[in-house]
Amino acid sequence: MTSIRSRKYLRMTLNERIQHFILLLSFIVLVITGFALKFPEALWVSGFRSLFGENAFEMRGDVHRVASVFLIGVSVYHLFYISFTKRGKEFIRDMWIRKSDYTLLKDTINYYRGKKEEKPKLGRFSYIEKLEYFAVYWGNFVMLITGVILWFENIFLPLISNVGMDIASAIHFYEAILASLSILFWHFYFVIYNPDVYPMNKAWITGYITRHQMETEHPLWLEEIEKDEMISDTENGKTDDNTEKADTVKKDEVKKDLSEDRNKKV
Amino acid sequence: MKNNIKNIAVLFISVGLITILSVSAFEYSKSKGKDIDQCLACHEDRDLFMESGDKKISVFVNPDLYKESVHGNAECTDCHLKYNPDEIPHSTDRKLANCSTCHDDLKGIENSVHAKTDCYDCHSKHNVRPAKELEKEGSKNCLSCHKKGDVAKFSSSIHGKKGVECSDCHQGGHSVKKISRGEVTNLCGKCHSESKMKFSNSIHQTLTKSGNMNTPICTDCHGAHKIINNKFSIESEGCLKCHLNEKLFPGDSKGSAKFVAEYKTSIHASINGSVEAAGCVDCHGNHMIQDPNNSNSSTSKYRLTETCAKCHKDVADKFLSSAHGKALRDKNVAAPTCVSCHNEHSIKSVSSEDNLSKLNQVELCLKCHEEGKLPHKNYKGEEELIRNYKQSYHYKALQEGKDNAATCSDCHGAHDMNKFDNPDSRVNKNHIANTCGQVNCHAKEFRDFEGSIHNTSLNSKPDSDAPTCTGCHGNHQIFQKDASNNRLANSKGLVQLCSDCHNSVELTSKYKLPVGRTESYLDSYHGLAVRGGSKVAADCGSCHGNHNIRASKDSLSSINKNNLAKTCGKCHPGAEQTFFLTKIHIVDELKDSPFVFWITLLYILLIAGTIGLMIWHNYMDIKKKIQEQE
Repeated sequence: MTSIRSRKYLRMTLNERIQHFILLLSFIVLVITGFALKFPEALWVSGFRSLFGENAFEMRGDVHRVASVFLIGVSVYHLFYISFTKRGKEFIRDMWIRKSDYTLLKDTINYYRGKKEEKPKLGRFSYIEKLEYFAVYWGNFVMLITGVILWFENIFLPLISNVGMDIASAIHFYEAILASLSILFWHFYFVIYNPDVYPMNKAWITGYITRHQMETEHPLWLEEIEKDEMISDTENGKTDDNTEKADTVKKDEVKKDLSEDRNKKV
Repeated sequence: MKNNIKNIAVLFISVGLITILSVSAFEYSKSKGKDIDQCLACHEDRDLFMESGDKKISVFVNPDLYKESVHGNAECTDCHLKYNPDEIPHSTDRKLANCSTCHDDLKGIENSVHAKTDCYDCHSKHNVRPAKELEKEGSKNCLSCHKKGDVAKFSSSIHGKKGVECSDCHQGGHSVKKISRGEVTNLCGKCHSESKMKFSNSIHQTLTKSGNMNTPICTDCHGAHKIINNKFSIESEGCLKCHLNEKLFPGDSKGSAKFVAEYKTSIHASINGSVEAAGCVDCHGNHMIQDPNNSNSSTSKYRLTETCAKCHKDVADKFLSSAHGKALRDKNVAAPTCVSCHNEHSIKSVSSEDNLSKLNQVELCLKCHEEGKLPHKNYKGEEELIRNYKQSYHYKALQEGKDNAATCSDCHGAHDMNKFDNPDSRVNKNHIANTCGQVNCHAKEFRDFEGSIHNTSLNSKPDSDAPTCTGCHGNHQIFQKDASNNRLANSKGLVQLCSDCHNSVELTSKYKLPVGRTESYLDSYHGLAVRGGSKVAADCGSCHGNHNIRASKDSLSSINKNNLAKTCGKCHPGAEQTFFLTKIHIVDELKDSPFVFWITLLYILLIAGTIGLMIWHNYMDIKKKIQEQE
C-alpha cells in the first residue's frame, strides 16, 4: 500500500530540469534587475544599491543583459531539444495544443461551476501548462525583440526614431508585468499553492512527482503509463521514462496496488 | 696898569700853555710814531717767530692792516702792557692784551656765553674791526669759530640760505646767549607763528605742559642749525629716534616702541635707502600731531580715510562709497577703516605674504564676519554662513597654492565692496555673472551664460527670478566640480535643482514655463536611470547644456530641432541621424505620444484580462478542491 502510494513518476529529466532551472534563474534575475530600473525608489532596490555600492545601477544593467543571454540561450537550446532529441520530440508532441484541450478547458470550467460531476481527466500536459508553455514563447519573442532594440539603442534610434524606442520600452515593461504576474498567479498556483501539490511540486528539483499528484493532475497520463507498463511488462522490458532513476518498486506490487487503489476509488 | 699886568700874565700863561700842549703833542706824536715804527721794523717780517716751549708762534704784524684799523693810532704798548722793546723777549710776563684798559664798558659780554672768549676772537688782533663791521659780516664771523657739529652746516640750511643770521636767534653783539629748551618754541614761533600755534595744540606740547620732560620741541625734529626745507628735514628717523626707544615707550600695546617698529617693515618705509613712500608725519601730521583717540587726530577712526586719501584718493573714494565706508560715515563702531585691513604700521603691499595675501584675507574678513549669515538663502533653501567659504573649492584651491582661486575680494571687491542688494554691487544679481566671469576666472563660462535664456531674462527684467551663477552654484560654499557633496556634480541633485524652479507652480505660471518637465523626465529612461543611481545617464544639463541653456526655438539651442540629434549623438554615438516623431518630454501621453498611449492601454487591458481570468480560474479550482475535501 504505502509503497504504491510513495511511488514517484519521472516528470522532468535532468536535461529538462537544467533547462527549467536556467529559465527560472534567468527569468527571476531579469525580473529583479528589470523592475529595479522601473522602480528605483523601492525599498528592495535601495537595498540593492546599498549592497552593491555606487555602481549598482550599471551592474544592474549588465546583469540584466547577461541574464537575457542565458534566457535566449536556453530558449534556443530548447528549440533544438524539441526538434532533434527523441524525448524532446515527444515533449512537443504532447505539448502541442489540440482541439481536445479546448474541450477539456470547457469541461473543467463546467466542472468547477458544478455543471459537471466528474473532473475532466488531464493528460501529461494540461491546458494550463500548455498555455503557460506557449506564453513563454510569446513572451520571449516580444521581450527579445524589444530588448534588443533597447540594448542597441544607438543603432535603432535612427531607424525607428524616439517613438520606436518609447514603444519598445513600453512593450518591454508591460510584457514584463504580464509575464511576472502570470508566473505569480498562474504558474505558482499550480506548482505551489494548489492543494494537491502543496507545499510544492518538486519535479523541478527531483524530476519526479508523487503518485497523488499524478492522480489529481495528470490522471490520463497515469493511465497511459500504466498501460505502457503492462505492455512492456509482458515484453519483460522497461519503460523509457522510468529507467532514469533506480526504480525500486517491484512491478508486481505496482500492479496489485494499482488495482486495489482503483477499486477503492470506485 | 694892574689890568695890563693881568692881561699880559693871561697872555703868557695862555701862550705858555699852548706852547706846552703843542710841544707835548708834537713830542707825543713824534715818540709814538717812533715806537710803532720801531716795533714794526722787526714785526713786519713775515718769518718772525717766537718760541714758546716746542711751539713756534708767528709774531708777524701786517703794518698796512694795522695802520688802517681803528687802532691805527694806538701804540703797541697800549695793548701789550709792560713790554720792553729793548729786551728780547719783550716781557717776562707774556700777558695777553687787555682791552679793558681802554674799553672799560664791555657792554655785558661778561654775562654772555662769550664771557671767557677773547675780544680779538671776534674783533681780530691787529686789524681790529669795529662792531659795525662785525654786524655787517653777520654769521660768517660766528662760523669762523663755530666750525664743528651742526652749526657748521648752518650756511647750507634753509635759514642760512634765506639770510637768517645767528643773531636772529642767539641775539648779537656782546649779549649772545644759549637758547634753553623752554625758549625754543617761542623763539621759532616768532617767525613760524602758524606752526607754533599748531604745535601748541599737539600732544607733544600737551605732554610738555603736563611736565613730561621727554617731549620734543622744534629742534628735536627739525634740528637746530641744519634745518632743511620740507619732509627731508623730518624723515621718520626724527620721530623714530624717540618712538623706537623701548624705555620711553615700553610694552607691546598700541603706542609702544614695538608697535611703532612695525613701520620699518611696511611698504611706506624706506627700503634699502630709498625715499620713504610715507613717513610718520604724512599720516600723523606734523605740528598738530594728536593722539589717535582724539577725534581731531588725522589718524582717528573717522578721519583716517581722509588722511590716507591724501595719497590714495581713488581707493579712498571707492571705500567711502562701499558698505564699509557707509557704515563708517554713519559712525558705526564696528565699521572698518583702512588700517583694520591694512594694519596700522606694518602696511604691506597686497602681493606680499602679509595679511592681505589671498589666503590670509579670508581670516581677515572672517575676523568680523565669522558669525555672519548670508542675507538670503542659498539654492538649497538653507541659510548659508559666510564662513562656509572655507569649505568651498575656491578656498581649497588657494590652500593648494592656486593663486588664481577667488578669495573674498575677488568677488566682493576690496574697497568698493557692497552688499548684494545694492544695484552697484559686484555681487548684485545683475552683476554677479560679470564678477564670476572675470578674465582670469570663469570667462568661458560667462561667455556661454551670456546668451542663455536665464541671462536674457535677467537682463530684460530687473527683478527676474532667473538664476545667475549663484542660483545654481551657491554662494560661498561653491564645490569642486566632482565633489561628492556638490549638487551639480550628481545628476539627481541637478534634476532637483532645476526642478526647484521648473517644477514650481508659482514660477512656471509667472514666467509661462512649460510644465511637467520634471515628471516626464523622471519617467523616461534617462530619469529612471538617474533615479537608480546611474552616473552616465542624461540629466537636464546633458541635453539642455548648463551655462548655455537656450529655448528650443533658439537656433543655437542644443535642443533646437535642428541640433537635437547632434545633442543625442554626444552620448549615443551613431544616433546623430535620429529623427524625432514626438516630443522628448511626454506630458500628455495621448497628445504627445499616441502610439505609446494606445499600446499601454492595450497592454493594461490585456494584463487585467489575462491575470483576471487566471485568478478566476485559480479561485474556481481551489473552491472546488475545498468542496471536495469536505
